[in-house]
Amino acid sequence: MKKLFAVTLGILTAFGGFVDIGDLVANALVGARFGMSLAWVVIVGVIGICLFAEMSGRIAAASQRPVFDLVRERLGPRAGLVNLGASFFINVLTLAAEIGGASLALELATGVNYLLWVPGVALVAWLVMWRVKFETMERIFGLAGLALVVFAVGLWLLGPDWGRLAHQVTHPPSDEGVPTYWYYAIALLGGAMTPYEVFFFSSGGVEERWTRKDLVTSRANVFVGFPLGGFLSLAIAGCAATVFLPVHAQVDTLGQMVLPVGLGLGQVGLALVIFGIFAATFGATLETALSSGYTLSQYFGWQWGKYVRPRQASRFHAVVLVVTIVAAALVLTTVDPIKVTEYSLVFSAAALPLTYLPVLMISNDPDYMGDQVNGRFSNALGTVYMVLLVVVAVAAIPLMLATKAGQ
Amino acid sequence: MSQKARTLHAQLHLLDRQVVHAGDGRLVCKVDDVELAAGEDGRPYATAILSGPLALGPRIGGVAGRLIVATTELFRPEERPAPQRIPMALVSEIGSAVQVSGDPPEAALERWVREHLIAPIPGSDGGGEAQDGGDEEPPAPRPSAEPEDGNRTRLAPLLGRRVLDADGAPVGQVADVQLTQDGPLLEGVQNAFQVSGLIVVPRHTGQLFGYERGPGGQAPALVKTIIRRLHRGSRYVAWPQLASPLPDTGPIRLSARLAELSSLAELYERDTAG
Repeated sequence: MKKLFAVTLGILTAFGGFVDIGDLVANALVGARFGMSLAWVVIVGVIGICLFAEMSGRIAAASQRPVFDLVRERLGPRAGLVNLGASFFINVLTLAAEIGGASLALELATGVNYLLWVPGVALVAWLVMWRVKFETMERIFGLAGLALVVFAVGLWLLGPDWGRLAHQVTHPPSDEGVPTYWYYAIALLGGAMTPYEVFFFSSGGVEERWTRKDLVTSRANVFVGFPLGGFLSLAIAGCAATVFLPVHAQVDTLGQMVLPVGLGLGQVGLALVIFGIFAATFGATLETALSSGYTLSQYFGWQWGKYVRPRQASRFHAVVLVVTIVAAALVLTTVDPIKVTEYSLVFSAAALPLTYLPVLMISNDPDYMGDQVNGRFSNALGTVYMVLLVVVAVAAIPLMLATKAGQ
Repeated sequence: MSQKARTLHAQLHLLDRQVVHAGDGRLVCKVDDVELAAGEDGRPYATAILSGPLALGPRIGGVAGRLIVATTELFRPEERPAPQRIPMALVSEIGSAVQVSGDPPEAALERWVREHLIAPIPGSDGGGEAQDGGDEEPPAPRPSAEPEDGNRTRLAPLLGRRVLDADGAPVGQVADVQLTQDGPLLEGVQNAFQVSGLIVVPRHTGQLFGYERGPGGQAPALVKTIIRRLHRGSRYVAWPQLASPLPDTGPIRLSARLAELSSLAELYERDTAG
């Protein structure tokens, strides 16, 4: 019974924690411009993140080694450093976007300009990372993120023409160019498969001292929690497709993104969705800031983690602190957080293979895995995804330049 | 030793692995490089794990690597600073992590950051679960110098060196160094890992990932095929096939001809048969 409770709690946490500012922005933008015609990308992305998160969770449980250890070990110091630079840069961008997102949610709730909220959000986030236990931290914000379910409820109450939504799945709107379509496909994939998710997931497994016995928990989180999160992403796109696509409105503020829920559910819905967005982006703020510390520490072999006292992992905590300050400063330059998100998604997509290739290799290595090596199915699917990710990585930046970032 | 001595490939199994303290699970450092000393017959054996920027920098190479080394040297008080070393005699296990016992000194940067930034912040002592013996601070960083006795070299500079056969024809470059645990006794506790062979690849085609050394369990077929294809024609050079003990610089010369060298697939078959 206790086990069942733990597994359920884990699933709910993964569900509520899945959506972050990247998923939110990408899905709302795409829903408004392309209807449901890119829904397949969300599904491809969710299957991909499930596949690689399961592998990295299994590695963490079998060998207590988190993902960036593997990156350094398999790619060597030079390629590892390139990956570290890229991942760290993307992490800081994403962190800035998440802090901005949480502040924008507070602006929607209070009417006070988001820039005034930024220092407070950053400070509270750092305090949580400094003091709160890892498990407590992950649970609270994961569960609070469940409020985003109102996107699904809102979509239901909006009473869209389901037939038309289904029709959109196979028929992209004819007034958008083909390169733009693919550009947004890549952004969506970057949103669903952001590398920090596996850095955080596997380091979290080590923080919580997973052993082989916890494989059930890990798999339940991944195979039930993540797809439910993906379903929420689709609901966000569906809301935007129902409200904005028919009137050809562009979505470029957070206020517009929550509008469909308000239309469907009224004030209560609006309050809930703003709360949900705040919880999701604040939770992701913690995840990205910690991931910056994880990647750097794991590359250089420093003591890291919240399972030891801060003074025992000084370099790790110093990185987390500095990164939080830098990201907050970046938002305070008044750069548009939504734009930052869009760019970080595309850069993420370009960096994907560097992270996922070592994961695929190590999960086949009996040195690490013992008898928990990949089966044929994981390997076959993993290989298909590697090919896909390489294609995406090569295409991402040229497409961004060619479409002027989706204009 | 009654059973077959353990064989490792330095690049694949040792370099870049996490070093963990066997007692309290503390993360110590990475295996940034391995220190070698020449044995009686000139065969090098591993004496210590080297870590820290002074070991990592030269491996990264280029501008970034030189910057790492130069910055570190700037802040080190010693005349000729050397990387931190952990004697191989303290290594108790080499697996997905390298377990060491004893009292490895703390990194200077960790201590500096703690004293000047982290410890002054209230609450730096709370949260987290104390590890076993976690209340004791690890020993202070100590100046490290190359050991006095004899010439010590490093393992990483062997990687990438050109290899010429008996006729002076190029064989390729060193991709990995095979170590066998049959060297001299280290402080009376365990045999040293001794260089027993080189893995030589014909082209500069990047890192070996272990797939070229036989199946070794499951593998994603396409990735394996691509990597094997890139490294086709890879050879194994046994220690007796070297013309002289490893030179410090310049190409490594063999006493055997290219055609006499065994391919990597044969190495694998021999390993499983033995």
